[in-house]
Amino acid sequence: MSSFIKQIYNEHIKIYVRKPTWVMYFILLALVIGIAAVTQTTDLTNNHENWEQALEEENQQSQEVIQNLREADFNNELSIQMNEQAIERNNYRLENEIPPNEYGAWSFVEDNVFLLSLVSLFTIIVAAGIIANEFKWGTIKLLLIRPLTRTKILITKYISVLLFALWTLVFVWVTSLIVGMAFFGFEGFTATTVVNRPDGVQEVTLFSEVMKTYGFRLINLVMMATFAFMISAVFRQSSLAIGLAIFLMFTGNTIVEFFADRDWAKYILFANTDLQQFSTGNIMFEGMTLGFSITMLMVYFVLFLTLAWTFFTKRDVAGE
Amino acid sequence: MPNVAMELNNVHKKIGKHEIIKGVDFSVHSGEVFGLIGPNGAGKTTTIRMMVGLLSITEGQVKILGKSIQSEYRDAISEVGAIIENPEMYPFMSGYKNLKHYARMHPGVTDERIQEVIQLVGLEKRINEKVKRYSLGMRQRLGIAQALLHKPSVLILDEPTNGLDPAGISEIRQYIRRLAEDENIAVIISSHLLSEIELMCDRVGIIQHGKMVNFESIGKSDDQDEDVIKLQLDVTPKDKAQEILKDQLQIDSSIQKGFLSCQIEKDHVPSIVKVLVEHEVDVYQVVSMKGTLEDKFFELTGENVIE
Repeated sequence: MSSFIKQIYNEHIKIYVRKPTWVMYFILLALVIGIAAVTQTTDLTNNHENWEQALEEENQQSQEVIQNLREADFNNELSIQMNEQAIERNNYRLENEIPPNEYGAWSFVEDNVFLLSLVSLFTIIVAAGIIANEFKWGTIKLLLIRPLTRTKILITKYISVLLFALWTLVFVWVTSLIVGMAFFGFEGFTATTVVNRPDGVQEVTLFSEVMKTYGFRLINLVMMATFAFMISAVFRQSSLAIGLAIFLMFTGNTIVEFFADRDWAKYILFANTDLQQFSTGNIMFEGMTLGFSITMLMVYFVLFLTLAWTFFTKRDVAGE
Repeated sequence: MPNVAMELNNVHKKIGKHEIIKGVDFSVHSGEVFGLIGPNGAGKTTTIRMMVGLLSITEGQVKILGKSIQSEYRDAISEVGAIIENPEMYPFMSGYKNLKHYARMHPGVTDERIQEVIQLVGLEKRINEKVKRYSLGMRQRLGIAQALLHKPSVLILDEPTNGLDPAGISEIRQYIRRLAEDENIAVIISSHLLSEIELMCDRVGIIQHGKMVNFESIGKSDDQDEDVIKLQLDVTPKDKAQEILKDQLQIDSSIQKGFLSCQIEKDHVPSIVKVLVEHEVDVYQVVSMKGTLEDKFFELTGENVIE
């Protein structure tokens, strides 16, 4: 076990000693501070004295939007559903006299969830390079003539990629929270908000909602990292792995939409990567369940890792 | 009988339908320096890569201290230190961090051992610099340090003197000899610098077209060949000397590069000199040419045609 941990440590050093990795973290930090600064200049007050009236107005607007969407001849089910959910949330607040939340650190962390696309991008870059770079540098030869089997080296590399994704996600979460506290104040761990659930509107703590949002995004992160890692192991080329993974990351939802009318569309990886759809009730295809999506994710996951393992352990390491 | 450290048994390598290695056999004993030479494309690097498990072996066996690299990989590879082709290290890390990196992959390599190998290869002053600022010679030294970290029984060095200056070459050569003699390590060296191999190795295997064509023991071969030697004479006038040798001693000679050359038995040297002096030929120099490994090599491999 100890040689295992030592090797994960080795891989961590090789990731974090390099300047490109520092640049990634610097970009994330700069973005978090920049977004906070810009957000502060906008009007954040939620008009507390007349909040009931404001919510009523919001509901009317949503109704109009729904009306317009219904009249349009293309399929808008998802947008209509989202507007309906907004109305449900507002009604819940009105009925139970819960005024809208003040903007604070938690809201800021929740808003910054979009930065996880950037974390995905960085994880893809690291995953794509972790094997391909050893071939590029020529160090693969010295790496593989050690008393560690190729399987063990592959596993330690894969775990290091997952840990990089996790550390970077935690970095975004923590810096957003600290910067958010400094700019907007802290709501505390017990502050609540109103969210939609399949069985109606509920009041939950902000903290648990933020954790949930980040947690669900981690799944997408892991799948993209695993895909890039597989390409890196199979083709031993980081540019190909980065290119393919980023392409799929950005076109994933488009691909699903394009094939949406086919029976097999729900078997596409990207139809299943967003598990939050089962929590909010905005499910992409009828008949999909949480169990189905988890099974599909496992199938893809095992497929990617089997391919990576087969190519990495069976193939010759020949000259240039 | 000395201990067999590395043994290759009828090793074949096929890539697709093309057979690159067509049965290589040799064994190297502990404390011996073995040279692997051959023209480019003969299969040296392929053989070495099979010996350390980077390439799969189509047929035959590689054993390190009796353990098969195929079926007992971890035990076998633990006994091997190697540089394969260029000593490539992580360029963005210091020499020391590179050594630490490899040390973590072997059980029981202490910090003292790392310092010891740094001193052995003489890199103390530059060890904390990044490898990308190292010269090829320094990388070569770091490569050797890396290969020795875990005190291997077999050391495999591909072109170890590549990129070293003459002082560095001589140092590494002495160092390799010391490793073999004092530490009883089996050292396997591949090189295309034949004179280098000749100075360093106890025994040489010549590989051509994926087959082992010959083994040479260096040192012993000189004694055996001493009956017939190649003689080079610096004399004036050369034509006259050539005639005298033909008439008086029935020796055929030729004029090459300003010297008079002939193949004779060693016993004849005094009489040749005597005859030439008697006929008033001025003798400036008499040199007996040793049969070099290079001669032997070209004799065996002929022209280098890559199949």
